[in-house]
Amino acid sequence: MSHAPAASHTPLKMGIPIPNSKLGMWLFLGTEIMFFTAFIGTYIVCRLGSPGWPTDTAVTHISIIAGGFNTFVLLTSSFFVVKAHEAMVDKRFQKANQFLWGTFLLGFVFLGIKSYEYKGKWDHDILPHHIPETDAQAVQKGLRLLNDTSQAELTALTASLDDDAEREKPPEREERQATVQAEIAAQPESPERLARLNAYNAFSSQLALLKDAAQREALTLHDFEHELETMQANEQYGSLIAHIHAPHPIKYGNLFASIYFLITGFHAIHVIVGLTLFVFVLKQGSRLNSAWTDWVENSGLYWHFVDLVWIFLFPLIYII
Amino acid sequence: MSDNHNSHVNYLAVFIALCVFTGISVLTDLVHIPNKAVLAVIVLAVASAKALCVMAFFMHLKFEGRWKYVLLAPTTILAIGLPLALLPDVGVHYYMIDVPQVEAGETETSHSSPSAEDADKHGDSHSSEHEAAETHH
Repeated sequence: MSHAPAASHTPLKMGIPIPNSKLGMWLFLGTEIMFFTAFIGTYIVCRLGSPGWPTDTAVTHISIIAGGFNTFVLLTSSFFVVKAHEAMVDKRFQKANQFLWGTFLLGFVFLGIKSYEYKGKWDHDILPHHIPETDAQAVQKGLRLLNDTSQAELTALTASLDDDAEREKPPEREERQATVQAEIAAQPESPERLARLNAYNAFSSQLALLKDAAQREALTLHDFEHELETMQANEQYGSLIAHIHAPHPIKYGNLFASIYFLITGFHAIHVIVGLTLFVFVLKQGSRLNSAWTDWVENSGLYWHFVDLVWIFLFPLIYII
Repeated sequence: MSDNHNSHVNYLAVFIALCVFTGISVLTDLVHIPNKAVLAVIVLAVASAKALCVMAFFMHLKFEGRWKYVLLAPTTILAIGLPLALLPDVGVHYYMIDVPQVEAGETETSHSSPSAEDADKHGDSHSSEHEAAETHH
């Protein structure tokens, strides 16, 4: 070591010539690379092992335009964060603050578009464990939807039973059925009420016939679709089930949905974490100074990594 | 301390290049390439080019010291190793896959069930306990 007086002012630094925080961030990103590689590797195995994997966007309700636009949003946010770091190094803190706000808002735009896509999946019931993969499963799901409607109508018709404060446990289905039958037999004064009770009765009877046929494996999906159409055209109770669509089987739909939500969900969590990191800097406002340069650089590195993952997820999930 | 050689990087040019690459990815979908393997090679090559741009310029790896190799080598090896370790399952089918969905699809196309009308005519006497709850006698 030199004995020059100047050397005594420079503390001896061992190891890699970067701040500890940056080293920590890079090590963390190293583990993150493996984390997402495991997901992507699993996806590739599942995808190649499943002949007939759903790719038709009309079936999967995947929007390439939404995914492409989200790629653009993340790329722009990455550009903003690198400009923010550049401004921090040049001590133009006002400029850095503006770029960081841009990144922050674009992060929310990304999450907003993602939520819109998730809503589409939710509305079409493209959810794990919800998708029929064979014709028989589609018939079962259709019957379940009809049964749920029947149950909801029965509960609504016998709501007075639930209002009974002295009751220890909720009324059984049989008790509700008996109440409906008794009310029909007593001929209620209101013709609307009587019509509603009779409509439920007719619907319930028709549903029982369908269930019976399904149990004897005598109801194909085509038959079910035809029956549903006929029931929906029924003047008495058709309006009760007008919202129900005949389910269509999607081979490997559940595996697709699981993987889609797992990978994009974990990515979205990373976006939220990145936004949280930016909150700490944005809170400084006009007090932003050089002490925050490393923070901006490290949270920027993390944000670029989030962008990097999406760069691969977009073609793998949306295009191929 | 990180190098300051990156101060002259034209980030806007990198950003425009990334947008052009994204446009190419979307275009490959619009032109409908029938061969999935060709499509996969094109879009993944474009994605790799984009990833390199982000890592080299936005993450400054192009301008960092040699520590980057020490730090990123283990994770790179493991990240490449994982898909390679899965290769037997991906590319080499050393076992027969018993897939219920495929079997069900095959039987449904070759076998047709009796019609629903028949089911309705004869269904009354076969109500199960669960269905009995739905029926009114």
